[in-house]
Amino acid sequence: MRSKLYTLYTLSLAALTAGLLPAQETQSGGNPFAQAKFVPDISLILDASCIGRNHSDEAMERLVLPGFTAPEGNDAAHAHGSSNGQRGFNLNYGELVISSIVDPFFDLFLVCDLGEESFAIEEAYFTTRRIPWGLQLKGGKFLSHFGRLNSMHTHQWDFVDAPLIYAGLFGESLLNEKGVRLTWVAPLETYFMLGGEFSQGENSMSFGRDGFSAFDGQIDVKGSDGPNLVVAYAKSSVDIGHLTLLGGLSMAHGKNRINHGIEEGEALAQAGYGTTTITAVDLTLKYLFDSIRCLSLQAEYLHRNGAGDGWFIEPLAERLFVSAPYEQRQGGFYAQMVGRLNKRVRMGGRFDRIMQNDGSRPGETASMPNHLTRYTAMAEYNPTEFSRLRLQYTHDRSLYEATAPGYIQKPANEIILQINLAIGAHGAHAF
Amino acid sequence: MKKFLILIFLAAALSAQAERVQIVTTYPYIASIAEQIGQERVRVHALAGGQWDPHTILPKPSFIARLRRADLLIINGAQLEIGWLPPLMNQANNPKIAVGSKGLLDLSRFVQLMDVPASVSRAHGDIHPDGNPHYYLDPANIPILAQAITAKLIEMDASGTTLYRKNLAAFLQAWNEHLAIWDSKMEKLRGVTVIEYHKNLDYFLSRYEIKIMATVELLPGIPPTSKHIQELEEKIAGCKVCYILQDIYNPDDASRHLAAKFNIPMVKMPHDVGSVPGAEGIFALFEEIVRRLTHD
Ligand SMILES: [Zn+2]
Repeated sequence: MRSKLYTLYTLSLAALTAGLLPAQETQSGGNPFAQAKFVPDISLILDASCIGRNHSDEAMERLVLPGFTAPEGNDAAHAHGSSNGQRGFNLNYGELVISSIVDPFFDLFLVCDLGEESFAIEEAYFTTRRIPWGLQLKGGKFLSHFGRLNSMHTHQWDFVDAPLIYAGLFGESLLNEKGVRLTWVAPLETYFMLGGEFSQGENSMSFGRDGFSAFDGQIDVKGSDGPNLVVAYAKSSVDIGHLTLLGGLSMAHGKNRINHGIEEGEALAQAGYGTTTITAVDLTLKYLFDSIRCLSLQAEYLHRNGAGDGWFIEPLAERLFVSAPYEQRQGGFYAQMVGRLNKRVRMGGRFDRIMQNDGSRPGETASMPNHLTRYTAMAEYNPTEFSRLRLQYTHDRSLYEATAPGYIQKPANEIILQINLAIGAHGAHAF
Repeated sequence: MKKFLILIFLAAALSAQAERVQIVTTYPYIASIAEQIGQERVRVHALAGGQWDPHTILPKPSFIARLRRADLLIINGAQLEIGWLPPLMNQANNPKIAVGSKGLLDLSRFVQLMDVPASVSRAHGDIHPDGNPHYYLDPANIPILAQAITAKLIEMDASGTTLYRKNLAAFLQAWNEHLAIWDSKMEKLRGVTVIEYHKNLDYFLSRYEIKIMATVELLPGIPPTSKHIQELEEKIAGCKVCYILQDIYNPDDASRHLAAKFNIPMVKMPHDVGSVPGAEGIFALFEEIVRRLTHD
């Protein structure tokens, strides 16, 4: 190609000097300052669903995951956030991803979460390109690489919703913080990675930065003055023939500030200040039968250990608070199996269980139910890599109504038909 | 004393190992060429296995460990790796092989690609926007790739120049000898018509002026529908089709059905080194392709 152009050029140059040809443009017009070639990779993902459920939307909003979430209206994130919230049709999100190499030293990623009336930066971070010794620095706002699932985007999940224990400990949008992350990949034949994150710790389900003051300073918790959360993990993987194993250990540690309406002094309001440590172990097995069919097993166990000072206002005793230490010792797991049967069809099941739900919460009078269980089954039809229809059925025995005498179980049955479409730059697959 | 000697021997072996140029290739055919040029001065590892669909390789974490220690990464390019390689490179974060470094060699830059679309739309399936990336199945392209790899090895490891040049010369000579045989064997198929599953073998077939009537898949990456099969049947009925060429990784039921219905032989075609028994190296791969088509 180049030599052909070159020949053309020398030929016309010869003709030009011989006065045979007027100078001719080889390329027509256009903007000499055009920068179109620098357009970053852009993709847009749209997610919508249609839902049928045995509880009305209002009844659903009152239900809680005992010991983890508070009823809607309190500021804590609810087990059923804005996504898939209503019976009938839901526009869940549009995800706009823009990414590019910045220069020889940095890559930049921006993930915007577009709601019907909102625009939020879900992730915005850089990663380094040139640090040797297997080190990489990531900085900005990003999904923590805690555990197996946390760093994945909603559209990469195998089920519509997050596992129960994840939603309970971090909320539906998982652990997503502003901070830095340093990783090291060991120079070994086997994959072994160590990582650490240092971040603000805004997650209101397990951490929190905002201080509060109530009852003329009798309750006074200072806000966080700097990064509040430390996350660390180790991951490793081996291949045995057509089987790949990936395992990890993770830990997240930070100060916890709970404030559910204590400043207003309403009945049943509660607050706390203490320390939370969450540990997790994860294991994934993927077996390839051939290029198309594969079976994957994935399980994670997460445990929260929290303790500190607590304050609560008793029912019928407005403007009077009681101090009592709070404690959280909670643990649960999910285990899922997903099979790809052919190019278009995937099927899977997931079992969720929170089996430890001990501790005392400020204001908690009745003991909390343990053995919170959920069963999920899904079938996917993927016309191409860029479109997906998913049918998911959930039998949820983890939801309760909080009443004065105690928790009343309200099993939920839910059927979701989800559509997920992607346009633009080709997103590569994660393991 | 004995233990001490063993230790010294091990250390020496390890350091000798470490001095070799660590080459990682995305596909086995590249590894086969690189091994023959680099020989004892290099250590080559291919990420993808030959038996897998090259478009959709499972990005195993072990690949990150491989990329982490590579001095040179050689890719097919033309977006064949787009669905699996970029996040692995990001996670391995090896500056030696990053985009823009001298340790990344994109072989597609050295060949003329076929079917470069003037405009792209996924209405036409999961198309290859830079053109057909299966260029390495044209046996005439292999010497170009071998030359590109040699030049890169000389750039990275100048002290091996003599060896690399010598190995390249031997490779090219052997290749030309084989190519002459393959060309003469393929002569009898010149001008025949075939159907292929995916546009995998276009470069090979066009070299021998073999016409491709249609693909079994509806559109690139999209499996056939019953309507598409019906249309294919109508086309085949009015035409003399010599072979249905099926790759080894896609379901072959549609091809099998057409083959049985019209009594056309269906041939399973290897697409890479290691894809079928007998295709263990780059020479053997083409040997096997020619053998399966010409039966000698
Ligand atoms: Zn292709």
